[in-house]
Amino acid sequence: MGGIFARMFSGLFGQKERRILILGLDGAGKTTILYRLQVGEVVTTIPTIGFNVETVTYKNLKFQVWDLGGQTSIRPYWRCYYSNTDAIIYVVDSMDRDRIGISKQELCSMLEEEELKKSILVVLANKQDIEGAMTVSEVANALGLSTIKNRKYQIFKTSAIKGEGLDESMEWLSNILQQPS
Amino acid sequence: MTDSKYFTTTKKGEIFELKAELNSDKKEKKKEAVKKVIASMTVGKDVSALFPDVVNCMQTDNLELKKLVYLYLMNYAKSQPDMAIMAVNTFVKDCEDSNPLIRALAVRTMGCIRVDKITEYLCEPLRKCLKDEDPYVRKTAAVCVAKLHDINAALVEDQGFLDLLKDLLSDSNPMVVANAIAAISEILETSHNAAAILEMDGSTVNKLLTALNECTEWGQVFILDSIANYTPKDDREAQSITERVTPRLAHANAAVVLSAVKVIMKLMEMMDPTSEFVTSLIKKLAPPLVTLLSAEPEIQYVALRNINLIVQKRSEILKHEMKVFFVKYNDPIYVKLEKLDIMIRLTNHSNIAQVLAELKEYATEVDVDFVRKSVRAIGRCAIKVEQAAEKCVSTLLDLIQTKVNYVVQEAVVVIKDIFRKYPNQYESIIATLCENLDTLDEPEARASMIWIIGEYAERIDNADELLESFLEGFQDENSQVQLQLLTAIVKLFLKRPTDTQELVQQVLSLATQDSDNPDLRDRGYIYWRLLSTDPAAAKEVVLAEKPLISEETDLIEPTLLDELICHIASLASVYHKPPSAFVEGGRVASRRVLPPRSGSEESGEILGGGAEVPQQPVQQPTTVIPGMDSLIGDLLDMDLGGPPMQQQQQQQAAMVQQPPQSSGSMDIFGDGLDSLLNLNQPSGFDSSGGTGLAGLGDIFGGMSAGVSYVAPQEVWLPAARGKGLEISGTFSRKNGQVFMEMTITNRAMQPMGGFAVQFNKNSFGLVPGQPLSVPQPLTPNQTANTSLPLNTSGPVMKMDPLTNVQVAIKNNIDVFYFSTIVPLHVLFSEDGEMDKKVFLASWKDIPAQNEVQYTINDVQHSADTTSQKLKNNNIFTIAKRNVEGQDMLYQSIKLTNGIWVLAELKIQPGNSNFVLSLKSKALDVCPAVHQAYESIMHA
Repeated sequence: MGGIFARMFSGLFGQKERRILILGLDGAGKTTILYRLQVGEVVTTIPTIGFNVETVTYKNLKFQVWDLGGQTSIRPYWRCYYSNTDAIIYVVDSMDRDRIGISKQELCSMLEEEELKKSILVVLANKQDIEGAMTVSEVANALGLSTIKNRKYQIFKTSAIKGEGLDESMEWLSNILQQPS
Repeated sequence: MTDSKYFTTTKKGEIFELKAELNSDKKEKKKEAVKKVIASMTVGKDVSALFPDVVNCMQTDNLELKKLVYLYLMNYAKSQPDMAIMAVNTFVKDCEDSNPLIRALAVRTMGCIRVDKITEYLCEPLRKCLKDEDPYVRKTAAVCVAKLHDINAALVEDQGFLDLLKDLLSDSNPMVVANAIAAISEILETSHNAAAILEMDGSTVNKLLTALNECTEWGQVFILDSIANYTPKDDREAQSITERVTPRLAHANAAVVLSAVKVIMKLMEMMDPTSEFVTSLIKKLAPPLVTLLSAEPEIQYVALRNINLIVQKRSEILKHEMKVFFVKYNDPIYVKLEKLDIMIRLTNHSNIAQVLAELKEYATEVDVDFVRKSVRAIGRCAIKVEQAAEKCVSTLLDLIQTKVNYVVQEAVVVIKDIFRKYPNQYESIIATLCENLDTLDEPEARASMIWIIGEYAERIDNADELLESFLEGFQDENSQVQLQLLTAIVKLFLKRPTDTQELVQQVLSLATQDSDNPDLRDRGYIYWRLLSTDPAAAKEVVLAEKPLISEETDLIEPTLLDELICHIASLASVYHKPPSAFVEGGRVASRRVLPPRSGSEESGEILGGGAEVPQQPVQQPTTVIPGMDSLIGDLLDMDLGGPPMQQQQQQQAAMVQQPPQSSGSMDIFGDGLDSLLNLNQPSGFDSSGGTGLAGLGDIFGGMSAGVSYVAPQEVWLPAARGKGLEISGTFSRKNGQVFMEMTITNRAMQPMGGFAVQFNKNSFGLVPGQPLSVPQPLTPNQTANTSLPLNTSGPVMKMDPLTNVQVAIKNNIDVFYFSTIVPLHVLFSEDGEMDKKVFLASWKDIPAQNEVQYTINDVQHSADTTSQKLKNNNIFTIAKRNVEGQDMLYQSIKLTNGIWVLAELKIQPGNSNFVLSLKSKALDVCPAVHQAYESIMHA
């Protein structure tokens, strides 16, 4: 009961910040996506050694978005950020056919985490602006998304550079987050 | 579930609560949580488990929170080196923040995070900050470079940070310049590579001097300290730097003043000491030093330690300021003692009366240590200022009358020194001293008193009784007292032989038979042998006139003093020790030396003038009062000029049969000598005296002058290989000829005969000069010594090693072969002394690649005894020079086959490791020459 009231009030005042993690292999475009969401522009980025955290507002909803570095040396520390996460945005470089396997492994091991049981998953097949990129279904297959059970998830094709697909994904995410569970 | 659950994170407890709060949405709550974490950290609780959670709070626009997180990071990054990488991105971002305070904060914290793994990521932000538009950021970044250098020097050098740092020296902001120079000094202390890039030149110094006037006091200290390390190119530049530094002497901060004093002291070295400029500088130096003495006692002490050095270097600076060093009743004891020391250094005939009155006053104070030092100071004044000696002595006598135990003891010790300085002047006071014999219970005082009794035995009627009373407890005495007692009784015996024989026998047997102390035993034996050999000579030795002592007891050795002057205003100047003596770890900064007087031809010819070596400034040799222990040194160093060893031996042998004095009781000498001779005489005591002398030579080091070194015999052919024939031998050089000294023993059951010898071809053409002469037949167990002269005219073949000689010995049984190494020095010819000019020309002529360098470790000789020892072995010292306190000996050697070897021997005072550089057209001989040096100098 208390949970429902809390949700109602937060819905009314839009106070509660939703915690979102942006994860994915290095060079997938996580930081670019974060700043595209925050300031609506493409910023030049350098590999994130560590993390970025920004507050993003989308349609009255406040998100606290954590963008974690994707390098092999940093991935072990993702788990430090799992608790209380409402949603995971998992970014995949659609051009990187070689490492899509690794990407799948990382995704699977992440989804097994107890702390992320209730988190919503958004997969972004990024870099769709480049010719020869894997299609959404190719990426979904490669990641084995069909095997995911007991979780709300969706995959989108995006291009962070051009700003395509991000709105749709955020729209979907905010709708899901506002649904009473 | 297994037991591992006990080790997983706790869900309860303080840490857990803090974790939850740190992850709270509310900024205020978060900040409170971080504050709690920092509080726990400060009191020593381990909150490292919260590292990821704290780091997550790092990206915030709240400056206060950021600072707290940074503080946490500095503390725990080292314990979580892997996780620390998560902070990197935030540093990178903060270094680009619009707020310069945040940029500086980030770069400062980065420098404090000593984690190797993340340093490479920090280079880029640091580079940006070094070029930041805000001076506060630049000055913080400058220090960060030094910190980074400490963690990873190679990285800093590769990334070109040193150049960036050097650029900062030209910065418009003086604080940036000061921090840059501080960072540079720090880096230079540890890195030798950096020196090439960061070397200071005139224009850098100019920039520093410009910044000097405008930056903070600590910045000024950094700048002054680094200027002190710069050596101007000439005395004009030195003068102009001095002029610009002088105003700093008026600064309120003691550190600034002392650093300025250091710079000036150093630069003054380069200037003409008689010039007006120097005179006026010296006048300017006194007031600031005096002002330092009105600060708190701790600062006073530091100032006094530094002043102590300054006074030793240039006493004229403070010669008129004696009064400020007078002790105040409420000075702490450490200040008092230091002032006392400086007072004595400043004492001269014009102020002695004043000083003496002060010292007498001090001697009645209550603090024992201080009183002792004051009494001693009176003695030192007496030695230093001759005119005042009498007054000092009477003051001391007054003090003895007080009968205060420790005052009397100290007085006795210094009176002994006064006697050595002014012999035969104040003996009238001996009677007073003798009255106080019973009060003396400290070894030093007892030893001094005994010395006085022995030295003036002829004037003290009951000297024998006095010494006898000391002798009763001989075994329980301190070794210092024992040695003194031995010497004193021997002196007494030589002065009054008739009635003190028993006493001297007693002390000699106590010293030689009942003592475990090798020094005492050796001294006992020496006296014993001297007395039994030649009482007249003994008299000459023991009662010889002693060199007068003079001046100060504890002057710092000049090279060390110069080095310490370069470290004024640092711990080294307080400890009076070079930094290398107390700084641990790899920080072996290069030794600092005072700059030479500009104008002295340092770079002239090496041998410019062997004789007229330019005197180093202010380094008059000072004789030092020898401590009790060094008296034996006096004895042994004395040139005995006695008869050649061999004769001595015979005399001793004669002595065995005929004791020097007919008295029956004297046979103790005979007995003793017998055992002595047996001790030192090898069984094969041969006519040539080869090894027999070597053994004795060890004891009478000083007496073996003129005898070339002969290595001890070694076994060349063991009996087992020689079918009973055993040969041991060595090589020697006498009268320009090489000899092969052999001891041949027949260990077989049958007599031997028909001996003959032959050499294989060898590098130096050594061949037997005459047939082998061995008494024939050699009966079983008989030993024969033979000395075979060798010529160098035989066939030559290069051997490996060079000095190898293969020998064949034939007898009636068989032919035996062995090979041996000829010590090269027997092949050094007598005409090896090169003309100076020829030497210089040859030295330059031989290319540098023909120079080899060796270190000869642990040599216990001075330059003079070394060169004498070498000369005895035909290594001739052509010239001697003193360069920066080091003795350089230039030597030439000629081998029998005409090869010349030139040598340079570098001797540093206080360092027993000599450096030998050899130059020769034939490099092959160098290792053997080095070997020869080693054996001669360690003989």
